[in-house]
Amino acid sequence: MGKHRILSPVRLLLLTLPLLCTAHAVAAQGLPAEPFVFGDGRVVVSGDVSMTISCAHAPDAAVCTKDTGFFNFSDYDDSTLRMLRAGLSASVRLGGKLTALGDLRLQNAHRPRPYGFYLRFRPFERRNFDIQGGRIPSTFGSFARRAYNADNPLIGYPLAYQYLTSLRDDALPRTVDDLFRMRGRGWLSSFPLGDQTPEAGMPLANAFRWDTGIQAHGAAGIVEAAASVTAGSLAHPIFHDNNGGKQLAARVSITPAAGLVAGVSASRAPYVTSGSAAAAGAAANDFVQTAFGADVEYSRAHYLLRFETLSVSYDLATIEPRLRALATMVEGRYKVTPRIHVAARLDHLGFNTISSPTRTDAWEAPVTRWEAGGGYALQRNVNLRLSMQHNTRDGGRVRRMTALSAQLLYWF
Amino acid sequence: MRTPIAVLTALLAAMTGFTPATATVASAARNGAIAGRVELRRPPSAAGRRPGVSDLGTPAMQPTAERQMSVVYLESAPRGAFEQTESDRAVMDQRNETFVPHVLAVTTGTTVDFPNSDRIYHNVFSLSKTRPFDLGRYPVGRSKSVRFDRPGIVRVFCDIHSHMSAFILVFGHPFFSVTDAAGRYRINNVPPGNYTLVAWNEGVTSESRQVSVPDGSTAEVDFSLK
Repeated sequence: MGKHRILSPVRLLLLTLPLLCTAHAVAAQGLPAEPFVFGDGRVVVSGDVSMTISCAHAPDAAVCTKDTGFFNFSDYDDSTLRMLRAGLSASVRLGGKLTALGDLRLQNAHRPRPYGFYLRFRPFERRNFDIQGGRIPSTFGSFARRAYNADNPLIGYPLAYQYLTSLRDDALPRTVDDLFRMRGRGWLSSFPLGDQTPEAGMPLANAFRWDTGIQAHGAAGIVEAAASVTAGSLAHPIFHDNNGGKQLAARVSITPAAGLVAGVSASRAPYVTSGSAAAAGAAANDFVQTAFGADVEYSRAHYLLRFETLSVSYDLATIEPRLRALATMVEGRYKVTPRIHVAARLDHLGFNTISSPTRTDAWEAPVTRWEAGGGYALQRNVNLRLSMQHNTRDGGRVRRMTALSAQLLYWF
Repeated sequence: MRTPIAVLTALLAAMTGFTPATATVASAARNGAIAGRVELRRPPSAAGRRPGVSDLGTPAMQPTAERQMSVVYLESAPRGAFEQTESDRAVMDQRNETFVPHVLAVTTGTTVDFPNSDRIYHNVFSLSKTRPFDLGRYPVGRSKSVRFDRPGIVRVFCDIHSHMSAFILVFGHPFFSVTDAAGRYRINNVPPGNYTLVAWNEGVTSESRQVSVPDGSTAEVDFSLK
């Protein structure tokens, strides 16, 4: 067969069959549809489970295989298109003004991880103002805070929040050529300074972990604002501080009309460990990630449109000029019937051009992704989704990849 | 030999799922009533809102849902019920991220209006086999409606706010009553006869009782739902 063989329908059916059987069993079992409530509403526990399988095809590769181009890998070395994910969220009201919130997640065979755990303090009863401290939700942008199960109309993640660039927090390039060598290899990147073990790089903004710190949030009329000080960076949220620096992040959004939300965000933080900065003969503060974001969401009747863009720059003490990245995403969802929705997303991640003595190129391989698919609601809280995703990359070993994915999603 | 009217009635009853009661209605008989109280032995739990762990701040407070509301109805309706074809209108409002009322009982042919009286968007939908619908997102001050032509239970949700839910019970006859805050109910204008009376509550299994409605009087039936 030629290079562009289509996915074998039989093979795909065999992969999808277990999912359909599980979907039928889940729908028939009458599993909980609402959160568990204890102590007269003081304790509320909810959860979600998603099972995703996929069949990817890249030129010169087997017809139905895994994502050999690592386009969909996250920082936990998992493909978002082949994943069993379970999460438990809980809120415990500790008094009139204080609430403890936690979110525990399990991904594939990894141990459960506390995604978020923090206290929410509401000092004024009649004012919409909160202070949150602990491992808190992201202040920046809009995607990272969305509930994946309900708010992601497709299966894959936007590139800005998932795609791994070659940059790492614990290893640094000495020269521009070191960067060029790692173009399109963010899933297993290595640099000569700092930790030389090949490891996964960082996305522009991490949607798989939350940062640790304190956040203030307020809303008045059509305006909502939040600001935070945390230990990590947008690209690398952490639990323990590893460089003595702090991330300052802020977001302002307005709702000028029903169904329309527009927001702008900013973030600035040292993003490398003290150890790797020292290996480069510099301080962590010489390696700063600065990000600006804008997002718009509009919905009406049966459709929903979203646009989000991130402009990110990295200061590297070892390399001139400043590295820049621009991610732009637009997605839409349309509900065809009460049970069926269709959706599509177009996503691009681009990088600025830099030069070494021998080469001029973008410092990372630009990636373009489109994903289109839909979902069928077996029950209100049991959804079966199918999507097709196509990726192209101007660099790396695998430059094109198409994947067909199926996902079963249950939440309560 | 059965008359054509009797055959038609039996056919209609089979289609709607309601069979005529064992007692036939004597034309001279005066209608009675059924009244009583529904007690929930285990109070329904507070409405659960999924923890807003990923929210930037505290979500708006949601009033306690009216989950104590039960519906009492005749399982087997008298023949006269099938002659009532008058269409009606009812309202299920959306306020403070809550459907009001939480339980609505209507007859077939009723059109239910779903006004948005909140400060935010809502998207009312149902996946029930009785009447699936999706009204889409619409802003404050607007209303959309759905006509219910088949008897059954319709679970109503908001696509944006997962904690919003309600029930619409659609009956092929008018012999039903929604309990008040104290659990009291009253079904008026019931022809004398023997019936099966059912009490339904969303959080518990429904319970049925046999009841005999005397000529021009009120039969008292209390329920204690587990």
